[in-house]
Amino acid sequence: MEFDRGSRNDDREPDRESQDGAHRMNEERKDIIRYQYRFEFEQGVETNFDVDLDSHSLAILGDDDAPKPAWTKLNFNQCENCPLSSEVEYCPVAVNLSRIVEKFKDNVSFESTVVTVKTHERTYVKKTTLQKGIASIIGLFMTTSNCPIMDKLRPMARFHLPFATSVETFFRSVSTYLTAQFLLSRKGKEPDWTLARLLEYYKAINLVNKGISNRLAKASERDANVNAVIILHSFGDGISYFIQDGLEEIEPMFSVFFENLEGPVHQDVEKPSASTNPIAR
Amino acid sequence: MNDKILVVDDEESLRLTMKLKLKAAGFDVDVAEDGEAAIERLKNQKFDAVLLDINMPRMSGIEALGIIRQQFPQTETIMLTGFADFSTAIECLKNGARDYLVKPIDTTELITRLKSLLRSKSSEQALFEVQRQYSSIFFNDLLGPLKEMRDSLEKALKLKGKSDTTQREKLIKDVHDKCDKIAKEIQMLLDFSHTEIEKKTSEGASINTTELAERLKQLREKVK
Repeated sequence: MEFDRGSRNDDREPDRESQDGAHRMNEERKDIIRYQYRFEFEQGVETNFDVDLDSHSLAILGDDDAPKPAWTKLNFNQCENCPLSSEVEYCPVAVNLSRIVEKFKDNVSFESTVVTVKTHERTYVKKTTLQKGIASIIGLFMTTSNCPIMDKLRPMARFHLPFATSVETFFRSVSTYLTAQFLLSRKGKEPDWTLARLLEYYKAINLVNKGISNRLAKASERDANVNAVIILHSFGDGISYFIQDGLEEIEPMFSVFFENLEGPVHQDVEKPSASTNPIAR
Repeated sequence: MNDKILVVDDEESLRLTMKLKLKAAGFDVDVAEDGEAAIERLKNQKFDAVLLDINMPRMSGIEALGIIRQQFPQTETIMLTGFADFSTAIECLKNGARDYLVKPIDTTELITRLKSLLRSKSSEQALFEVQRQYSSIFFNDLLGPLKEMRDSLEKALKLKGKSDTTQREKLIKDVHDKCDKIAKEIQMLLDFSHTEIEKKTSEGASINTTELAERLKQLREKVK
């Protein structure tokens, strides 16, 4: 089995799993972010997917040989807000998803599975439903696909949190966006601290999720793949309500920042210099 | 008091998102992760409607629907269906579900359908109340003349064979008139049921029970 490629999968018998993934990963190049997904089913079958990302661009690596069945064509159930021209032959999201979709097209969403995700830093293990496991990896594939709309979520791939709860995902989304606004303001541009643009992004992302779920419904015999995208859609769908109501629920956790504020905070956000940055000193 | 909704789905993100949406629309919301948990919630508190996913582990939405219809008939059910569940959804409608929604669920559609369902449910309950109140009045309206008809017929039978037929003819005419009155009253009820109530319920409009009761009263006076 090769591990120097981007996203690929294989099915293995459990007894072949004695090969130690962590050992191999130590030998990997530092400029690659790797997520190794392993699905173990009750019948003893295992399915593996490795996702390699360029650590700077977060582009998916080595997936040039991804299968391109008919449902991956751009004009096949194309998303209603797709900005790509007809010169583009294949939907980048669909191509990125093709391997996993073909693998699980005959599976039922609530099938029980143990999913292990290995990264350079740690290993996550969870007994969960197949739809939840697929949703986790599909999120990675979609955000790193070069789809101009899904690209807004690409930084989240660096901080990918397998099996995240809704609140964790909402929080990561808001945090990522606010970090982007901070970086924007440091460049002298107008930041959006109201999160208004984030909601606009998610409106567009939701249309893509809807389009992709329609596309996958045509490509799958059972519901596991489609329901996985529906889970992702629910995150996008719920974020405006989270900002409205959910943030209030977590607000008390931040109370330490609201107390004993002395004097006005310096408003102009500048890149810290070596003399002002306590870390650099 | 807000309408109370139970959201049943095995996926946490879908439960939370629907809860946030429905709360923002003014509903009181509770959640359950499968059919078994849903039935437990229903045993402990009353819900106006249940949003019920079809494909779930432990107890499926279809099994849960059967129990809800049997044990909690006042609670309405909307099925939530994913991919390739259409035939199952139709089967659920045949088995007492009031509606179904296909995932990913459009927020506006969800709120509209739920409000429409609950409005129609409260109209049906109001209509049931009017029917209950007025049915005893109308049965009394029918019972009086029927008893009088029976007395008149008994008297007419006793006069059989008498040479003077005037009294007998008068009694028979009385029975005839009362039959007419009863027939009119029954016809009035039938007409009212067909034109007023069916029209309102089929339009999905909420029924003004005061107006309905007043119309019934007027018609009753007219027949008398």
